[in-house]
Amino acid sequence: MANVTALRERGSVEVQDVSHVYAGPGGEVPALAGISLAVAPGRFVVVVGPSGCGKSSLLMMMAGLRRPMAGTILCDGRPILDPDPDRVGVVFQDASLFPWLSAADNVEFPLAIRRLPREERRRRAAEMLRLVGLEGFDGRYPHELSGGMKQRVSIARGLVQDPPVLLMDEPFAALDEQTRMTMGEELLRIWSQTKKTVVFVTHSLTEAVYLADEVLVMSPRPGRIIDRIEVALARPRTYEMMASDAFGRLRDRIWRQIRSAA
Amino acid sequence: MRLSPAAARWLIVAILILLWEALPRLGLVAELFLPPLSSTIAAAVADWREYAAALLVTLYEVALAMVIACGGGILAGAAVGGFALTRNLLLPIFSTLYAVPIVILYPVLTAWLGIGSESKIAFAGVYGFFPTMLGTAAGIRTIDPQLLLAARSMGASFPQRLARVIIPASIPTVLAGLRLGGALVIIGVVVSEMLTSTAGIGYLVTRYRTILDSTHVFASVLLIILLTVAFNALVRAVERRTVIWQTAGRRGAGGGAEMTPAAVVPASA
Repeated sequence: MANVTALRERGSVEVQDVSHVYAGPGGEVPALAGISLAVAPGRFVVVVGPSGCGKSSLLMMMAGLRRPMAGTILCDGRPILDPDPDRVGVVFQDASLFPWLSAADNVEFPLAIRRLPREERRRRAAEMLRLVGLEGFDGRYPHELSGGMKQRVSIARGLVQDPPVLLMDEPFAALDEQTRMTMGEELLRIWSQTKKTVVFVTHSLTEAVYLADEVLVMSPRPGRIIDRIEVALARPRTYEMMASDAFGRLRDRIWRQIRSAA
Repeated sequence: MRLSPAAARWLIVAILILLWEALPRLGLVAELFLPPLSSTIAAAVADWREYAAALLVTLYEVALAMVIACGGGILAGAAVGGFALTRNLLLPIFSTLYAVPIVILYPVLTAWLGIGSESKIAFAGVYGFFPTMLGTAAGIRTIDPQLLLAARSMGASFPQRLARVIIPASIPTVLAGLRLGGALVIIGVVVSEMLTSTAGIGYLVTRYRTILDSTHVFASVLLIILLTVAFNALVRAVERRTVIWQTAGRRGAGGGAEMTPAAVVPASA
């Protein structure tokens, strides 16, 4: 880690020797074992690994929603101990929209928590909804939106405070295949427009290769990082690339790593 | 011709009203057992002062008992359901108490509070308290933890999570408890008026029954029915305003549909 100090700038994420143990019904369960990683500002990093390997836990720790038993996590150059939406936005698997609030009110929620003036909240929410392609849907309630649209609202909410880092916990896992593809393209467009640092957790190897600058492969519990794969495919990524040999080789390499560790 | 479910429901109500009038008129049911609807209404209109005075007493008792049952039930339910310790210690006790026929308390309450409104309010309040409390306690427990996590990720403090997530998320369950609790409050007030009292609609039912004046008995019954229907309509109106998202969400926007109609019509309308 020669460039550790260089990383300590706006938008970097650094995980230093993080370990965690859960109290399970049958005693202590080691969840994460000495994880270290560094994400440079503006990079799109995808974490893959088998179910229960602790990748979601790791993401929750990066969000300040859970504290690791050992090790430090730096976001934006400073340790993250509690949730801080100015530094880190989070998008959850099931969108987690408040069903009693309209799309615009959902996006405004973090701003309302900060007691920002109403006009500014309106303005920024409208701006974010436009960014995610939901202009004019301000007044719709979550139950009036499709799964993909809900996740768009959730992304808008994650970005509304303009945090340099966006953490995404299997955000497209519950969507059907076509919607998932569209959302992948949309996310890359939003990412290239906003220049955020993205840490994205997924089960899908295709999704990982399609989206990432770099894929981190985790082992089964206790989770460790067993491989780090640079995805040198050109940007913008296209659907056709998925059929290319380079794409297939990268996906095979990830799969072999996961299988050999199981 | 096909009837919509709503139209069919109104048709059933219309038929029942018609039967109420027709059966005694045709001599199929003795007028002593069921006086025709028109004579019942005529009796209520002729003695409207007496009925209005009784209705006021009953409404006053219902209103105060509602405060005890619903206000107390919601607060106690939130306190008991919100914390693991109280939930594990108290909820089984309350659930068991709920099964006790609380009407056995009424003679005790009249001994303590007299046969005026106080004993009715206390009895109906306790009667409606348990379902409201148990409903609220259950509602607090069923809040999606994912929503609380999301709120926390956006920097919401505990008071903010309470005001902006926990309370709005519990409204549907609280309203369901209120509907049940409120109905029991009305039952409690009327029953206790019928048992021992000197005023109220329940008292009129008992008094006219003892003198075999069935048109006046049924006029009281009609008022109680109207009171209950009005209460139900009120709760429904509140529900429609606050929890559209809950009823509509279940029929829910499926994955593929990119557009759903903007008009939100509750399933029951």
